Amino acid sequence: MSTVVIEETFSHPALFYGSEDEYADRTVTFVREGLAAGEPVAVAVPGRNLELIRTGLGADARDISFLDMTEAGRNPGRIIPGVLRAFADRHPRGRVRIIGEPVWAGRSAAEYPACAQHEALINEAFAGRAATILCPYDATRLDADVLADALVTHPTVIDRGRERASGSYDWRAVVARYNEPLGPAPGAAVLGFGTGELPEARRFAVDRARSLGLSERLQDVELAVAELTTNSVVHGGGQGTLAVWAEAGQVVCEVRDAGRLTDPLAGRRPPQPGQIGGRGLLLVHHVADLVRTHTAEEGTTVRFYVRL
Amino acid sequence: MDATGPTGGPSRERGGAVLEVGPLSGRPGIRASGEIGVTTRRSWENALTELSRRHADVSYVELSGVRFVDVAGVAALAVTAMNLPGGRVVVEQPPPQLPRVLRLFWPSLQRIEVAPR
Repeated sequence: MSTVVIEETFSHPALFYGSEDEYADRTVTFVREGLAAGEPVAVAVPGRNLELIRTGLGADARDISFLDMTEAGRNPGRIIPGVLRAFADRHPRGRVRIIGEPVWAGRSAAEYPACAQHEALINEAFAGRAATILCPYDATRLDADVLADALVTHPTVIDRGRERASGSYDWRAVVARYNEPLGPAPGAAVLGFGTGELPEARRFAVDRARSLGLSERLQDVELAVAELTTNSVVHGGGQGTLAVWAEAGQVVCEVRDAGRLTDPLAGRRPPQPGQIGGRGLLLVHHVADLVRTHTAEEGTTVRFYVRL
Repeated sequence: MDATGPTGGPSRERGGAVLEVGPLSGRPGIRASGEIGVTTRRSWENALTELSRRHADVSYVELSGVRFVDVAGVAALAVTAMNLPGGRVVVEQPPPQLPRVLRLFWPSLQRIEVAPR
């Protein structure tokens, strides 16, 4: 493989693979290069691909952290804090090496925009940091649009064994493109709230979620709705609108207010243990299966999904 | 935004969340009932400040009457415990969110011991 050095410290190549053999070959080589350089290595990819890498590594697999991305990264919004930074921060000295595969064939239309934004935001989250994050893309099964986005979210791409700079790299464009307007589904239960109605908003969400069939994760809904409605009251103009509905086997809760989310990494930065604030959106990302946001001059909408 | 009266009565904001908090009798620490959230934050943090001021070896935080605590409420408790010079804080009968949020953000905080409901 030829190597193009774009950024001295952080390296974030996309790997376009055409077969399982090519996948195993290139990922195992990438891992072994890291081991040879004494770098801590983590692999977070979908289960089937996890096995390809594990098998290919043989005895070398014992020194690697493996995570099934369909679990750890089911919600793309928690991959940066919960997988990538979590691993990198455990190894603050020297370079870390990670394979992260957040996009796979079968990601839903609701999930994909959050996946693309996640890939884009990795560049900001790791700017200036000694890390190499390789993101495999299944070139035979993913849509052409998805592969085109990967060229925008990755400064380099490895295609048929050659690494080259991506001419279309511009991660902010992908964050902006998938900042798509959101709105409650027809038939959603809707409640307006202000500071005095925060407990009522929480109860409303829990009652609606229960009546839509949710049972085990009602506490998650309560916590996440509390954080979003509190954000509206504190940062979003003092009031907001909460909507709850069911969609494709999931309960969806959406909070809309007049605020503006200006920090693209809000909810994706691991907090310092001694800091009081700054955990609300992290909590939402942690408990939800998917989080979508839209922010514009006229206000912000945050929606989270919990599987029934 | 806190509306605690001069007598230290319940903190109330326009019919929203209410929190009553005060010292435990007979042992060091505080007891609270109601909800810990943005509108009752000040009373909760004041009570925790008082707890750390009087802390010797073990302090108790009795929460059997608390229906809900948000993430910042758990954070205030965790940070209070982290900043104590020593000893530990025993949190009794907290609402279920509290141990969940503690485990998520402070997995290795030894200084808080949770006695569940």
